Amino acid sequence: MMRRTLPLLLSGALALLYPLLVSGSAVYQRLGALVLLSAIGASAWNLIGGYAGQVSVGHAVFFGAGAYAALAGYAQFALPPIAGAPIGVAVAILIAALIGVPTLRLSGHYFSMATIAVAELARVLVTNWEWLGGAQGISGPAVARTVLDLSFTSAVPYYYIFLAVLAAILFITWRIEKSRMGFYLRAIKDSERAARSLGVAAGRYKLYAYMLSAGLTAVAGALYAIMFGFVDPESGCGILISVKMLIMAALGGAGLLFGPLVGALILVPLEEISNSLLGGKGAGLTFVVYGAMIVVIARFLPSGLLALFTGRMRPARKPSQTEPSHAA
Amino acid sequence: MLLEASQLTMAFGAFKAVDDASVRVNEGEVLGLIGPNGAGKSTFFNCLTGDLHPTSGTVHFEGRDVTRLSPEQRARLGIARTFQVPLTFGSMSVLDNVMIGAFLRHHAATAARDKALEVIGQVGLGGFAEASAKSLGTPGRKRLEIARALASEPKVLLLDEAMAGLTPGEIRAAIDLVRQIHGRGITLVIVEHIMEVIVSLADRVVVFHQGREIARGTPSEVTRNELVIEAYLGKRHAAKLSGGAA
Repeated sequence: MMRRTLPLLLSGALALLYPLLVSGSAVYQRLGALVLLSAIGASAWNLIGGYAGQVSVGHAVFFGAGAYAALAGYAQFALPPIAGAPIGVAVAILIAALIGVPTLRLSGHYFSMATIAVAELARVLVTNWEWLGGAQGISGPAVARTVLDLSFTSAVPYYYIFLAVLAAILFITWRIEKSRMGFYLRAIKDSERAARSLGVAAGRYKLYAYMLSAGLTAVAGALYAIMFGFVDPESGCGILISVKMLIMAALGGAGLLFGPLVGALILVPLEEISNSLLGGKGAGLTFVVYGAMIVVIARFLPSGLLALFTGRMRPARKPSQTEPSHAA
Repeated sequence: MLLEASQLTMAFGAFKAVDDASVRVNEGEVLGLIGPNGAGKSTFFNCLTGDLHPTSGTVHFEGRDVTRLSPEQRARLGIARTFQVPLTFGSMSVLDNVMIGAFLRHHAATAARDKALEVIGQVGLGGFAEASAKSLGTPGRKRLEIARALASEPKVLLLDEAMAGLTPGEIRAAIDLVRQIHGRGITLVIVEHIMEVIVSLADRVVVFHQGREIARGTPSEVTRNELVIEAYLGKRHAAKLSGGAA
């Protein structure tokens, strides 16, 4: 147990101290917050995409629900953005239930394609929905009216808010992983037919995981909107958001507790560097880079980076030709 | 009567894979389902487990109509199965595989774990609990599927060609295992190709041919039945065989 606990404690301490360690640099503090925010989204995706193996490429719709709810509450009713977050979570869960019931019956690629279609539909919808700002998008409070607006110039407060939320999500995920539901989700991922033959109500468990994942993704969206104070159809519901969650989780290790966090730790800094190098010119290039990463991960790292280090199971030991027969 | 299929027909388009089959499984017995390739055994089997829903006819379990119930609902009632081509959970350890079955009656992870370890010991996979399911060979995987099904504490266990692909030595070990399971009061339905297995295990046998039941009786009765010999060997060979015997 010690072998796992010690690195965990050290990483936790490092995460808590990070803003102080880079206290001289606002850029690094902001980077830290962005890594955590991405890790929140990818960890939320991990529940359905990683553990249950239902690869959603449409989580942007849930992210958008959180982001839009937070800022629409401000724009329309002058509420602090955080007040809209629960509405966003509820809407995301509702959407997940509505699209989950018909689409989770589809297997493999068909589910992925259906989720893309729904997310694109949502993007087109908000683009043409003036109440949500249409193509221009909506902004949050320019200056904090009260502290409840959670509008800070420094990234450090965001960093700690995100860290707390991420810790909560990872704790929930860990509890699920150890429970019957976690075992069932993994069984469904490996063979839904076999799982059902053992009494696993696969449809129901997939739907639960999908709804939970959607709700937590909406939290990520709301936090994004609170930090950036702005959301438009592309930054709220764009396909790149769904793809990023997927790639981060897959790179670090989909279906592993810390996989999405590891993926975010690698990808977010890379993205920031390439953005600053390429400036505005690189917009189309991002898609090319992500496309290439999908190919590389699928070919060389199908289980993700963390899988290289987790020797949880004993390595393959060939059972003898005649296995120990068990005469009663 | 534990499990009863009445006038079951399963049609795929115009083709009837199972045609008006009625089979009763008595509590505590070992029933064999045999027949040549394509006879409809597996289709019939899948209608019993809920993987397929029959075009017409009914399936009753303990007097209750389960024809429209899903596989998971039937599992909860006490019907367990294995698969012809093992569908083990490849990314998990042997223990985790069996725990999936055990979770059906034991909701807490520790209780499911205890139950799983007990069953793993019973089926003779004791040394393999922590091994990856992927690392097992065919005999091991078939055994693992049986363990997984047993962990769900079924009343009836349906084995779909559990011995296919095993060597004669492995088959004898597997027969011992099935006997031991039966000894614990679990009713068994076995679909099998291998006559040796049927003869040594089954109390009663139902023979399928081209979707229809052509014979039933004790193993020795059906193996002497001319229709059965004909179905397996073809008319000409069957005639030769009976001619030689006379």
